Order: sequence, then C-alpha cells, then structure tokens
Amino acid sequence: MSTTVLDPARVGQGSGDDTGPLAVRTEGLTKRFRGGQVAVDDLALRVPRGAVYGFLGPNGSGKTTTIRMLLGLVRPTAGAAWLLDAPVPEASASVLPRVGALVEGPAFHPYLSGRDNLARLEAADATADPRTADRRAAEALDRVGLGAAADKRYRQYSLGMKQRLGLAAALLRPRDLLVLDEPTNGLDPQGTREVRHLVRELADAGTTVLVSSHLLAEIEQVCTHVGIMRAGRMVLQGDRSVLVARGASRLRVTTTTGLAGTAARVLDTLGLDEVAVDGLQVDALLGDTAPERVSAALVAAGVDLVGFEVRHPSLEEIFVELTGEGFDVAR
Amino acid sequence: MPTGGVAHSGLMTETQPTPQPAAPARRSLSPRARWAVPAVAAVAVGAAVMGPPLFASAGDDGLPPVTPEELVAKVVEKDAPALSGTVVYTARLGLPSIPFGPGGASADPVNLMSGSSTLRLWSDGEQRSRVALLGAASEYSVVHDGDEAWTYSSDDDEVVHYTVDPADAATLEKLATEGPAVKGDLPTPQDAAEQALAHAQELSTVSVDGQTTVAGRDAYQLVVTPKSTTTLVGRVVVAVDATEWTPLRVQVWSASDDTEPALEVGFTDVSFATPSDSVLTFSPPAGAQVREVVVPLPTEAEIAAAEQEHTDGALPQGVTVHGEGWDTVVELSGVDVTGALAGDPKALAELEEHEPTIGSDSAQALLEDFGGDPSDKADMGEIDPSALLDSIAKPVPGGRVVTSDLFSVLLTDDGRVLVGAVSPETLQGLA
Amino acid sequence: MSHADAAPTAAPSGVTTTSAAVATAAPPLRPVRGAFGRLLRSELRLVLGRRRNLVLLTGLGAVPLLLGLVVFFTRDTAMAGEGPGFIGRVTENGLFLVVASVFVCLPFLLPLTVGIASGDAIAGEASTGTLRYLLVTPVGRSRLLVVKAIGALAFVAAAVLAIAVVGLVAGALLFGLRDVVLLSGDTVPLAAGALRVAGIVAFVGLSMTGLVAVGLFFSTLTEVPVGAMAATVVVAIVSGVLDTLPALDAIRPGLLTHHWLDFAELLRISPDWGVVLGGLGVQAAWVAVFASLAWARFTTADVSS
Repeated sequence: MSTTVLDPARVGQGSGDDTGPLAVRTEGLTKRFRGGQVAVDDLALRVPRGAVYGFLGPNGSGKTTTIRMLLGLVRPTAGAAWLLDAPVPEASASVLPRVGALVEGPAFHPYLSGRDNLARLEAADATADPRTADRRAAEALDRVGLGAAADKRYRQYSLGMKQRLGLAAALLRPRDLLVLDEPTNGLDPQGTREVRHLVRELADAGTTVLVSSHLLAEIEQVCTHVGIMRAGRMVLQGDRSVLVARGASRLRVTTTTGLAGTAARVLDTLGLDEVAVDGLQVDALLGDTAPERVSAALVAAGVDLVGFEVRHPSLEEIFVELTGEGFDVAR
Repeated sequence: MPTGGVAHSGLMTETQPTPQPAAPARRSLSPRARWAVPAVAAVAVGAAVMGPPLFASAGDDGLPPVTPEELVAKVVEKDAPALSGTVVYTARLGLPSIPFGPGGASADPVNLMSGSSTLRLWSDGEQRSRVALLGAASEYSVVHDGDEAWTYSSDDDEVVHYTVDPADAATLEKLATEGPAVKGDLPTPQDAAEQALAHAQELSTVSVDGQTTVAGRDAYQLVVTPKSTTTLVGRVVVAVDATEWTPLRVQVWSASDDTEPALEVGFTDVSFATPSDSVLTFSPPAGAQVREVVVPLPTEAEIAAAEQEHTDGALPQGVTVHGEGWDTVVELSGVDVTGALAGDPKALAELEEHEPTIGSDSAQALLEDFGGDPSDKADMGEIDPSALLDSIAKPVPGGRVVTSDLFSVLLTDDGRVLVGAVSPETLQGLA
Repeated sequence: MSHADAAPTAAPSGVTTTSAAVATAAPPLRPVRGAFGRLLRSELRLVLGRRRNLVLLTGLGAVPLLLGLVVFFTRDTAMAGEGPGFIGRVTENGLFLVVASVFVCLPFLLPLTVGIASGDAIAGEASTGTLRYLLVTPVGRSRLLVVKAIGALAFVAAAVLAIAVVGLVAGALLFGLRDVVLLSGDTVPLAAGALRVAGIVAFVGLSMTGLVAVGLFFSTLTEVPVGAMAATVVVAIVSGVLDTLPALDAIRPGLLTHHWLDFAELLRISPDWGVVLGGLGVQAAWVAVFASLAWARFTTADVSS
C-alpha cells in the first residue's frame, strides 16, 4: 500500500461535503495483464459529482487502463467500479449512454466525413432518439467548431480537427459524466484553451468531468480535484485546495553563525524530516507541524531567526515530486 | 517516494478493502462459462458426426437365424427388386498409384481402379435401370432401357447408343437379360454378389456370419471362402438385406490383408421403391454427338454352342484358360503389351470387376478391351504408355508383372498376357 | 463511512441517492424501438458503401463477363469446349455461364471475398480504433458481433449475386438461354433449369457461411485486419489441399471446403437432397463452433486498441 494515499473520506473537504455523491468510484481496482505486468494496482478512485477531476500521471502510469476499465473495455482482474452509482461493467449498457468519452485519442473511419462518423455512432446508440440525431450531431459539431468541415472526410482532418471530432462525439447527447483521456493531445495552444473553456462550460452546467493528462499545466487551471497516478497506484488524490495546503510544505530557517546546528537539532526534535544544513540555512520538510510551534521552539532554544520561511508547493511541484522528473516513463 | 507531507492514514483502514465484486446483475456469464459455449458446440458437432454410426452398429442381433443354404437360395431365387440408392465403391488393391493425369475427381470408370467412387443406382427390377458414376462436377451414366442402352459422359458430352439389331429382338426377349452389353459398365452390389455366388457351392465354403447394418437396413452376412489355398482372394462377404433378400454390400477380402476389404461395393443409402420414369429413360441432349453401336446377339444356336463351350472349355483363338474356379488363369497370346496398355486402361478396370469368377465371358470382354478401341486413346491424355507401364509393372525374368492384393497380371516379353486371382509366381510358373 | 455492506449494485455513497438525483435528474434510459435495425443499416451502409468493397464486387462481376467473352471469341477455334467444369457447356446455354463463373470463383476468389468481409469485421474496427468508441457508446458486444456477422454475410451474398447476375445477363446476351442439359445428359425445361441454377447460387452462398464464421473468429483475435483476412483465405486453401489427400479420408467429409462442389448435385437428374443438406450441415457445424468461439473471445477480450 502506498504510504501517500490521501484519506478518501476527507477528500472533498474543501467543498464542505464529506459524504457527497461520487460520479466515479472504484474499490481495489486492479488490472494485471497476461504477462504479469500490473498496470493498475488496488486503485480507489473518487470523483465527486460536479467535479472537474484532473487525473494525472506520467505516460504508462495506468491512467488509460483505469479509464478503459471504467468504460467496460478492459475487464478488471480484481476490484469493482461504479459510474454514476451504477456498477460497471455489469450495468454499462444503461449507464454508458450518460457518459461521454474520449479514450486515447479520437478514432473514426477515415473514409467517412465527420458528420457520417457521428451518424454511425448515433445509430449505434440504442437509447438515443433517432428523430433528433441529425440536429444533435450538427450541434455537437458546431460546439467544437467543426461545423464548416463537417462534410470533409475524416482522413483530411488535421490532428486538431480530429481531436475536436472526438470531443463532438462525446457531446452527441447531454452527458452526466465526461471521461476525457488526454483531450488536448495534438492541439495548439489556442485549441488547448478552447478545450479548457469547453470543460469549464460543461462543468458549470453540472457535468462531472474526469480529464486525464500527463501534463499538469494543461488542466491545472480547470480542475477542482486531482488524482495522481504513479506506476499503477494512486499516490495522491483529493480536493485541489486541500492538496495544495497539505502538500509537503517546506521550511527554511536562516540564522546567524554557529547556530545552524542548534536549529537543525531543534527541528529534528520536533520530528521534522529531511533536515539539512547549508551554511546559515536549515531546510526541512514541515509536514503537518504548525509553523508557529517550530518558531517558538527555535526561539526557546536560543536560535536567532534571521529568516523563517514556509513555502507551499505548487501543484506542479507536488506533481513532479510524486511522479518523478523528466521524461522517463514509469517502469 | 516522498516521505511525510501527505497524510498517512490509508484508505484501507477506513474503507473495507474488498468490496464485493459487483454480482452479475442479469445476464452475463463469467468468461470461463463463455468459453464453455464453443466447447459445448464442438462436442455437439462431434456427437452429431460420430453418434449415428455408434448407434447403428449396436443391437443388430434381432434377426431370425438362417442357414447359409437358405440364404443363398433366397438371394438366388429372389427377383431383383425395384430400388434406388447410392453405392460407394472402394478399391484398396495395393496397386501403385497410376498417374492418369488431371481429372482425378471426374466421372470416368478408370477411377474405379483405386480409391473411392460414388455411384447412384436406379432400377425397376426388370429391364430398365440407370447407374451413374458421380464425379465432383461430372457424371458418367449407363442407362438400360429395354432393348437399348445408353452411356453418357458429361466430360466430353458423348453419347453412345447401344441397340439390338431388330432381327434379334426376339432373341433378347428370350434371353431376358438386361439388354445389350455396354462397354464401361459400372459395378453394383447385385452384379458383384451374383458373380460371387455363381459357383459358390462347388468351389467355396459358404457360411453365415453375424448380422450387420448396411445403409440403415438389417442384413445377414454371407461369407464365401474359397476352398483353394493358392488364390489371392481370402473371402467374399455379401451382406444381404433381411427383408428384401437383395445384396446390399459385397466385400472382397484379400488373403494377405485382414484389416480392410480390398474391394468393397455397397449401398450407403437405399430405398425399395420403383423409380420415376424420368430416370429410367434417356434421350440424348441436343447437340451432343451420338455414336450408334448395334450389338449383335447370338442366335439360339450360338447360345446353345456357348453353353456347350462353358462345359467343353472351347475358347476363342488365342485364349487359354488354366485351372478352374478361384485359381482360373486366363492367358491371351499375340498381344502388343505396350500398345494394349496405352490403348485402354479400362481393361484393367474390367479385369478387376470380373475378377472373382474370371471365366470365358470375362475373357472375351478382356480380349475386346485389350484389342483396343482407337477412340479411347484420347482418354490417356499426354501420358507416355511406356512410362505408365514402367510405373505399374515391375520387370521380372521373361516379362513384366502387375501385382495387387487380389489379382496379378503377367505380361511376357513374347506377347502373352496372363491374368488371375493368384500370385505372380503362379502366373510365371504357368508361362 | 463504510461501503462494505452496500449491495453491489447500490449507490456507493449509500445515503446520497436523492441528492445525486437532483444533480443528474436522468430518466432511466431505455433502448429506442428499432435500435438494432438502425445499427444494422449503418453497418450495411458502411460495408456496402465502402469503396474497397465496391471495387471488389465490380471485380467479381467482371469474372463472368470476361469468361463469357473469352468463350465467345474462342468458340470457333480449336479450344472450343475446352476448360474445366462447366465452361465447355457455356456455348450451348448461356445459363451455364452462371454455373461456370461460380465454379471458377469458388477455389480462390470467393474465399478471398469472405476473408476480406469477415476478417475485417472486428479487426478493422479495432485497427482504426472505432471499436472502442462503438463499445462505449455503448453497443453490447454480442449485439455488435451479430451485426458484424450479418454485415459480412450480406457482403458475401452480394458478391455471389454479383457473379450470378452478371453471369446471367452476359450469358443470355452472348449465348442465349435454352433448356438445360443436366450432367446425366437429360434435358430439363429452361424454367426448371433456371431454378436449379438459382439453387446452385444459393448453395454456394450458404457454403461460404462456415468460412465467414472462421474469419469472424480470426477477426476477434487480432487488431490487424490483413492478418485475419489472410488467415481466413489460408484456411480455405489448406482445407482444399487437405481434401485432396487420400490419407485423410476419415476427416475429409468434415472439411470446410469438402462439400463446396456438391452444388453439382443440383445438376443431376434426381438431386439427392441428403447430399445437399449434408453439405449445408457441415457448414452449420463450422458456423456453430466458430461463431461461438468468436462470441466467447469477443465478449471476454480486453479491448486495448
């Protein structure tokens, strides 16, 4: 068990609704592929209703496999999952019409136009009203800015247009939950902004959005909640503000000559981790310890406090810290 | 892994770690159960394929006992019934495979030499019948219709019309045979049984074996075992329908192989009802070549003479018969061996067909066949006759010999042909 | 809070069902009437409207035309009447152009068509990635498989019909239609003969169903449609080769291709319906086994394309 999983019962504290309804929930969700590789390990996902949930993690950390399990594409090895309170994959047939999804990029028949591709998905949806199909498809195309290119063959679409068509497919009918896997992939900055805008708009209308990305910056501005995956495990999950507050705040104490050692001992005594002395500066991980307690203890020990700085990490910093830096793919 | 910072209180301590995996709500078989479906399908298919023969072979002891004599008498006395059915003819003679070229699956009597052939048979029990040798997409038909007969080959669209000279019609009536003899006639269980039983009592031991089922009908098995020990024929088993007293299957077993019959001709499907007129008549298709053959019938005097011949052993010139019964060896002299083979491989088919009771009638047919009909050379396609001879006949001192499980043929260098259901050594001894 | 005692299908946050309903007042979704028909029509449009498939149909339709023209222009030469099967009979009766064309297409071109139609069914959608979007729409996997199977069968039927119709028209124009001479040499009236030829076309079409099922199964095994297509064609060819080996006598009657030429039964004077039904029965057996294999595979497989 990962040591850094947030208490899920306290997730959502920021919104003041501890027991609020969940749009997505998994318990012990595990996927072990035939080769023995564990892609998702004992996952407890919590996506509150109405949230914009940023599902983060490096490529290969298990995000897409999790999404595939939620959507009934991949059968879990163990565990259970619910979408909008319905167990999946058992109740997929009744719940998935309420879920719009973009999974691992858009995929359409290259020799059909955007409109015909949507018509195909429309025809496949047993619960959609065929009388309004054309209108809804046109609206979805307009909404993603593809109205003018609706009758071009998909093959001729640019990467960004393809991504937009994928979003249009997810928006073919009103959804209660949108699952967007890397929705900004291939989009230019303008397109990325548009997607963010769209997500915010949908969320404002009450739709829960689960949006995955390997780049925090892409979605940081829109998400209310985050979950961070690493190597198949959820390493951090919760309300965004709480996460920031509970992030590993760091303390930097600057003192006068000769007192750095004393200061370090005091911090040690208080149970702070990663205490390190660098000249006149002492760094430590503050954790849950109240800063005023630390400063009082230092003063009591006779340490001159030239500087006392508590630094809250940004989401980006937490993300990088949790998932490791650089381009190396997990595992 | 970063330490500290984030709350440690694990999920597992507060939430039960193992919620029930959502129970199958309505339908949904487990993956394992799903894979059982094709397994069940495969088993069902297997049962459907294997089942009927298993059931058919069980419980065939319900027939009243019968003595061999009674059975032979019943078969011989019983008039041929009207019937139609499918006959499978299988030859496992142990001949080297003969490169007859393409068209292995076509309907040509030559193919009766080896492997399996399917024939369809319709007979009104009297003078009208049709036998068709079925190819994959072809057919060779022999239709007997009173005093005329037809053969038709779909491969070359050729019709041969056999008629009796009008002057001989009365004779035909008297003979009450199946009408004019046809070259390239096809084997049926009836013909084979007739030959096997012809002289059964004198030269063979006849017994009744267990009962069996042929084409879904109960049948007695009559076993004809040659008294001779030098013949290659081990025994002939005739399965006789228990209600219609007509032969349903004839198996000829080689003395040297007791696992499978060397020759087998039997119904796989039979129904004893008079076939419709349409199958018992034939009219040549428009545009087909019709070759007319008038078959001369012997006069009454000649018939009498022929019967005399049987007893006297007087034979046409160039034909000698050695031995009798199962050991009969027919010797033909003055034959161009290579030419004969090139001329007509059907000759061998004829041989095999008449093999068990080879006698003067067969010898006559054989002679005609070996004499060769130039038009038949086309059948050989591009095959080099000498190569063919090499491939099926192995050289021995003084000639070449063709061996099979049931008969041997010796072609001597001085132009004689010896044929018999005996070992090649016996033939060499006679030569 | 604990969910351990919550019924598996119940809301995970037991007490919140009502507040959830406020946020997402979703009426229960019921399938609309005719939903299956809509998906099927969409599938047929996709299969029969695809350019590659139309080219293939055109190519198959060209076979009887070419065959008819070749026979027509060689009818007075030494090669007249030559050729396998029924080609020699075409000059006598244009109706035989249908039979000869079917015969010519049977060993390779029809299996190729079946391979393309059935091998592409699932693997094609998997390779473009559209399979995952169909499944999350959602389309039940069993339902999708049935629709895909019908689509493949429809394409094979279209292929056989293309050969037959072009053969009939070309045969009638080039050689005329006459009373039909059967394999036994007997002649039946044109109407009866045409009915027999229609029966042959139907038999050949139905003879492809086993291979369609095999192709569909292969199609569920891979994301590479060309692989499934090739494997399907190879199965037909290997089956044809095995069918020529006398050593395999015991299993030959069960081979996929063994009864394909049994359509000739319909050109015999008194067709043995046992043979015709036996041939179709073998196809039914292959369909039963491989369709259920395809179903078991497709409904349990992880879709990772």
